[in-house]
Amino acid sequence: MSTKSYQNKIANSRAIAEPVWIRWLLIGGALAYLGLFLFVPLAAVFTEALRKGFETYLSAFSEPDALSAIQLTFIAALVSVPLNLVFGVSAAWAIAKFNFRGKSILITLIDLPFAVSPVIAGLIYVLIFGLQGWFGHWLSDHDIKIIFALPGIVLATIFVTFPFVARELIPLMQAQGKDEEEAAIVLGASAWQMFYRVTLPNIKWGLLYGVILSNARAMGEFGAVSVVSGHVRGLTNTLPLHVEILYNEYNYVAAFACASLLAFLALVTLALKTLVEWKTAQAQQPELSQEST
Amino acid sequence: MMSIHINNVRKNFGNFSALNDISLEIPPGELVALLGPSGCGKTTLLRIIAGLESPDSGSISFNGEDATQRHVKERQVGFVFQHYALFRHMTVFENVAFGLRVRPKATRPSDAEIDRRVHELLDLVQLDWLGDRFPPQLSGGQRQRIALARALAVEPKVLLLDEPFGALDAKVRKELRRWLRRLHDELHITSVFVTHDQEEALEVADRVVVMDKGKIEQIGTPGDVYDNPATPFVYQFLGNVNLFHSRVHAGFARIGELEVGVPGHADTQDTPALAYIRPHDIDIQRQGNKDTLKVKVSDIHAIGPIVRLELEQGDSSEIIEAELTRERFGELNLVRGEEVFIRPRKLRVFLQ
Repeated sequence: MSTKSYQNKIANSRAIAEPVWIRWLLIGGALAYLGLFLFVPLAAVFTEALRKGFETYLSAFSEPDALSAIQLTFIAALVSVPLNLVFGVSAAWAIAKFNFRGKSILITLIDLPFAVSPVIAGLIYVLIFGLQGWFGHWLSDHDIKIIFALPGIVLATIFVTFPFVARELIPLMQAQGKDEEEAAIVLGASAWQMFYRVTLPNIKWGLLYGVILSNARAMGEFGAVSVVSGHVRGLTNTLPLHVEILYNEYNYVAAFACASLLAFLALVTLALKTLVEWKTAQAQQPELSQEST
Repeated sequence: MMSIHINNVRKNFGNFSALNDISLEIPPGELVALLGPSGCGKTTLLRIIAGLESPDSGSISFNGEDATQRHVKERQVGFVFQHYALFRHMTVFENVAFGLRVRPKATRPSDAEIDRRVHELLDLVQLDWLGDRFPPQLSGGQRQRIALARALAVEPKVLLLDEPFGALDAKVRKELRRWLRRLHDELHITSVFVTHDQEEALEVADRVVVMDKGKIEQIGTPGDVYDNPATPFVYQFLGNVNLFHSRVHAGFARIGELEVGVPGHADTQDTPALAYIRPHDIDIQRQGNKDTLKVKVSDIHAIGPIVRLELEQGDSSEIIEAELTRERFGELNLVRGEEVFIRPRKLRVFLQ
């Protein structure tokens, strides 16, 4: 469905239009709520961060521990996002284009990270790979560190972010069906040519949207990472964990400065997301946008 | 030109038997219609010929060579999908060029050659001026013709079309099917198309394969299947028909008080049978005799060149349909509620 015509419908519908004062009350209420719970905290983050001037603000990032936290956060995102991209596309492909036994179980499993508390997710990895866990002895015998080290952080990040790409693509690919893919194969395309020339262009905006959401969550994840990280400063602290430590040490300016970096990343993500949504809406109705020219 | 042989093909989806031991031979250069109601297995059969589905048992061969295991892209078939399946993010030109562009380097034509061939095909379907449009900007009929041009670009030996006119409105559908017929007469590619529309099948095809419930009911020319239906199903599926319960005895079928001679059943003794009479094979007359049945005119619909009558038989509630030309209707000057007599000009019985 085109969002454009849907919006026209809302604007044109007199039947369900409320009196002006009710409309203003509803809009005002929603805005006040948003302001109180979203905008004020966001503004607070930036004011607190800049309270002692721009110099102090910048110095929060030049500290080695902060730099290592930023670096670790980027590495975790850099590993987990591509893996989830591959997994998400394969899972969505399997679910949308084939019928197989256990399909509904797979769909439910993909949703699991949304249902499970991130702390539990972290604990699962501690239980499996921790020193007291199932593979703990074997791992320590072979001198492999997973928990309280980078691999654990990456694992936890993958766990909490893996639904995003698949969830975004499944309804899209289901709606598109497999006719175009079949047409490509009948015309002599190889499997890769079919994916690259037909499937990918059709899902690219949905895919990008999933990747952006996945990335946002990967960089902002606290709970699961907190359990497996061990909070070793300069070694296993991601940016959100670093913020917590600084705050607990009453180093408010630095804490808020780092938080502002995360907030800034979130804002960029939102902007990208809006752009992609706009592009998707355009891609879905080229007849409208091009006929008018 | 390619001939297609389908030998004892079976296909089940779970417990549903889509194709039940289908054997069919399609001679080179023919345009064949697979006709049947939805769920009769016709699309499954088409997809098996294309290689998009594989049969549970049985085989497909092209020109006598077994192709059952051959991959779709090696079968040299052109397939036109029911909803066209045009690549929505590519221009019309690129859609048609796709089959040439994906060829391995060794056999891929040069860009200039691709350009020439695509324009040739767009000319053939009379849409050369649409080359740089995108599929969502085209009308249904245009999409259909582009889908056909795209399928022809790879120079297929067999052309397969799934409900090619199903999604079009009545007027465009008529134009396009005549156009397809002419195109086939020019190109002579062995072609199979699937349809649930009997008029379409009868008008376009050289031969019609009538299917029901995964089985072939009859194979024949359009004239054959319409005039001499092999089974009650074919009779009912092709055109309107009146159904009467009757008894056949010693060469005569008895419907109520009416007795009609049925040659070929001279030895049949008092057997229940179903008698089929087409609405246009019913004559209406004012005077009754032993060859007629008394009925009451319960409704009159004038539809274009014909007039359709609904007739009630005294003792049964079943409606009999009859079709008259406007001319004959004018002569008779019938009015609603009037009593008249009908005489079947032609009737077919199937013993039960």
